[in-house]
Amino acid sequence: MTDQAPPNPCVWKNPLAVWGTATGNAEAPSIRVPDPRDAWRKNTAFKVATYPVGRLKYFVIWPHHGRRTWNRTRWWPTRRNLLNIGGLYNRKTAIPEKRILDRRPIYWLLSLCLLLIGPLLFPQAHMNALLTAGATFGIFAAINVCWTLIIGTASIFSLATYAVVGTAAFVTSLLSIRAGIPWYALPPIGAFIGLGFGILIAAPALRLDGFYYALLTLGLNELFRVFFTTSKQFGSASGGLYGADSFINQNWPPLTQSMVAYYASLCLLIGSLFLFRFINGKRLGRVLRMAPEKHEAFAAAVGVDYKRARITIFLLTSVALGFIGGFYAAQYRGVAYSIFDFQTVLLGLAMITIGGIGRAEGAVLGTLVVIFLRDVLLELGPWRYLIIGAAMLGVVLFLNNGYFGIRRQFNAWRAKKRGEWRSGRTEKGGEALPEEATEINDKDTLYFRRFDKMQRDYLKELIRPEIIEEHRRQPLGQHSEALERVLLYFRRAKMEDKYALHRAGPAGPYKIIAFSGVRGVSPRLVDDREFSTLDEAYHAVFMRRVHDLLET
Amino acid sequence: MTEVLKIEGLSAGYGPLRVIHDLDLVIHPGERVGIVGLNGHGKTTLFYAIAGLTGWQRGSIVLNGKQIGRTRSQGPGRYTHQIVRQGLAIMPQGDEIFQGLTVEEHLDSGAFTPEAWRTRKERKERVLGIFAPLRKLMKTPVGRLSGGERRMVSIGRGLMTDAKLYLADEPTLGLAPKIGIAVMEALLAIDLKDSAMFIAEQNVALLEGKVDRIIGMHAGKLKGEASSSFRLSGSH
Amino acid sequence: MDIAFVIVNAVTVAAIYGLIAIAVSITWSSLGLINLAYGFIFSFAGYAAWLMAGRMPTNPYLIAGTGIIAGGIAGIIVCLLVFIPLHDKPAFTSRGMIATLAISLIGSQLFLMIFGPTSKSLPDLFGRWKVKLFDITLTADKIGIVVCSIAMLIGVVLWMRSSRRGLEIRAMMMNPHAASIVGIGIRRTGLYVMGLTGAMAGLASVLLSQTYYIAPFSGLTPLIKGVSIALCGGLGSVQGAVIAAILLGLVEALTNKFLGGQYVLMTQFLFIILVLVVRPRGISGLVDIAREQ
Repeated sequence: MTDQAPPNPCVWKNPLAVWGTATGNAEAPSIRVPDPRDAWRKNTAFKVATYPVGRLKYFVIWPHHGRRTWNRTRWWPTRRNLLNIGGLYNRKTAIPEKRILDRRPIYWLLSLCLLLIGPLLFPQAHMNALLTAGATFGIFAAINVCWTLIIGTASIFSLATYAVVGTAAFVTSLLSIRAGIPWYALPPIGAFIGLGFGILIAAPALRLDGFYYALLTLGLNELFRVFFTTSKQFGSASGGLYGADSFINQNWPPLTQSMVAYYASLCLLIGSLFLFRFINGKRLGRVLRMAPEKHEAFAAAVGVDYKRARITIFLLTSVALGFIGGFYAAQYRGVAYSIFDFQTVLLGLAMITIGGIGRAEGAVLGTLVVIFLRDVLLELGPWRYLIIGAAMLGVVLFLNNGYFGIRRQFNAWRAKKRGEWRSGRTEKGGEALPEEATEINDKDTLYFRRFDKMQRDYLKELIRPEIIEEHRRQPLGQHSEALERVLLYFRRAKMEDKYALHRAGPAGPYKIIAFSGVRGVSPRLVDDREFSTLDEAYHAVFMRRVHDLLET
Repeated sequence: MTEVLKIEGLSAGYGPLRVIHDLDLVIHPGERVGIVGLNGHGKTTLFYAIAGLTGWQRGSIVLNGKQIGRTRSQGPGRYTHQIVRQGLAIMPQGDEIFQGLTVEEHLDSGAFTPEAWRTRKERKERVLGIFAPLRKLMKTPVGRLSGGERRMVSIGRGLMTDAKLYLADEPTLGLAPKIGIAVMEALLAIDLKDSAMFIAEQNVALLEGKVDRIIGMHAGKLKGEASSSFRLSGSH
Repeated sequence: MDIAFVIVNAVTVAAIYGLIAIAVSITWSSLGLINLAYGFIFSFAGYAAWLMAGRMPTNPYLIAGTGIIAGGIAGIIVCLLVFIPLHDKPAFTSRGMIATLAISLIGSQLFLMIFGPTSKSLPDLFGRWKVKLFDITLTADKIGIVVCSIAMLIGVVLWMRSSRRGLEIRAMMMNPHAASIVGIGIRRTGLYVMGLTGAMAGLASVLLSQTYYIAPFSGLTPLIKGVSIALCGGLGSVQGAVIAAILLGLVEALTNKFLGGQYVLMTQFLFIILVLVVRPRGISGLVDIAREQ
């Protein structure tokens, strides 16, 4: 109801006044009624900007889905398909088509192929440096993939990874130098040492919470560093151990040596990726995804033995790390103390942080970035570590989970913003929000709500002082079109909470009540006011209904 | 004279849920206003919106001439400490207390302006004058007190500065009836010179006749206002 | 006596590392941040003191004061870079820890580039006098170190108990939501806490450089030792850190005496692991209310 002058005043003439009126309402001032079809058209008009119909450019589609359902290419001997391909019918053209639902295997394959043919693409001038850097990349990427298993899948924040590798490397080097053990025995022996180390530091991993354990492993790293750097048999005089047996023959030309080192490291990386896949992608990873941090009690209540799963992963990766340590000793003929440095742990942490903790591709990308900065851009000198540190700081400050977590972060932010914008536009009693609409089974209610909203908005415009005065003078009988439309809407309302009149005696005072809408439940008293005449009471009910209409 | 609190077009909510829809409200100095309504209809959200603790909010809130409302969509509580320093004392629903601090330290923590901190002894005496049972409990850690005593500490903490607006969210929630009445009486007996008090309460009978205005809140909108002569008769 | 000499040494060293342990504890319990950038703060304070010593080598108060203030400034830098951007973001604890490690990396490289790898030394702050007590010769620097550490500790504890800022810090440890309601801003309190803990680390740096040198990476060992003591004592409590410092100092002394120097770290860590296996939250896990993660 507005206080402005009515936009369309008119005088309604009672059509039955020709035969005389009992109550004298031959005329009444009223308003002209706008066309209700305008409200309908405006509301049902399509307001959203439309784009050309079609699919996004990067969805690659092939024809003919479902033709070959039996004789498809599979990974023998399993029945697993090569790629996760989904088929459906295009509704517009009624042609069957298929598309790849998960493109990550392709990306992995391309990246690994790129790494394999890398030496052919390296510029000849820097071939040696790049091959050496590539070998380092391979080994560190393997270590970091295993570390991602520990930190991401098993949620054990261990910083002692490089200590395990270093210990295995040192002990196998010592054995090779002193006892002359050949190179092919070094990785398995390293694996045993890794297992021993893992058993040693696994017990506190269960008892301690995340960060307590991280600090403890930091201390353990330091402990091992001091132990190895001060013990004579581990080469404290020479800064490390040298002279172990290697599969790289010293007599080969240097380029061949570098090549063999590069490809051997790459094989190690691929092996560690397989390990990641078999642990994270199969049962153990599945079990642990049910027990994320802070919700372990729930998992335990459901029957998931997450502690055992975590320890199993920890021990398996310790074995792998020991293997890598033995391999390191076999490839580089020994090992220097720098592997126990705090700096190495920091660089390793930088590697897995930049890519994203918890994902194998994150570990590989982070290792690539850091090794590139450190070993390829040698001319930057001390600035290299500064850039690495700055990159690490930047990634941690701005990204929730490294580079590969950007998509999820953006989607979460966008969903949050969308929810807020939408809630800013909701009105009470209006159309259902899409989230609500999907929950409602009877879709007719959605259409009804929308129509009802349109009606109410239209009727709100019609409520004017003239109408109210007209009703007050004569609640029942012939009315102008505006008042009639309003009254018809009110009379059609559902029974729940509908106002009615209660009469105390035969000519008794009237009170306003409201129906409950439920069979057998008596109406409730709405107001204490009593009305002596029926017309007054009708008008009071009308006013209440008008008030409620304007509230919504 | 300027109003103590002037809210225009306030909308607030949490995430996709909008709790308060375009609310307007004015509170004058020296006024005691009660707000009643069922649970979940936005009374606590209104208080939190004034303090800046909701998920998101929009609209203008002017406290004593200073604009403290801002369009914000993340970081609840980010600006609360600045808003509180403009002269707002909140006694939140269910007492937010500091587990390990004693009663005396709690009251001290309420004196956050430098001037209040310097005169904290007198202010503590004043609070103990209002809530006498606390005098014996000054050195007890608050975690060991009963519900009523904790509520007294929470309210007393709000009284330690000269706030312009006191927001009391359900002061009798969870208390035994006698203690609830005592707490409410103490709250209503506080002398408001130029300040205003805004009390949210489910138990309307406790507010009848003792506050200047009672406002109803329903589904995020203010519905109906009654002056101090308002008496309920058991209907909607 | 031999063992007394060793004990005195151990107490001295425990006093210094105990300062860092308490700093780590306070930062964790009031802000929820594990600050591993103490290597950076240590070196920062040490180099600042060294620069001041280059100008005014005869004023020990000025040198020590510069170290303390520089430590506070470095702590505030860490707060601005790490705590304030990250404190309301998801996975704050692990991201904060990694960010402080990144600052450690950047800082040590910067110092390497600016000051070079050679170690610097500070002049003796406490003079060269000696005191003979029960047959033990106590040199000035040892007495000075212990006295200074204890004085700083007592000062910090008193300040936390009696001043408004200290009350704010303690209130924020317990209930950050209620703290904002009584006008305690998280970010401002964070600045105070990190400034204070940085100052403590700065003092530790100045004291430690009486025995060792100042180098770009000299802060790492004190960091790890301090963090281990804090871990053993319980990451939220000051009493626990003090008790753990004394106990670990004793372990070091006894190992030095009976097993030899190279086994010190091993026995210390065995002790820590034992304590943690029995009480996963540290010595004072139940004695004091340690903060939940």
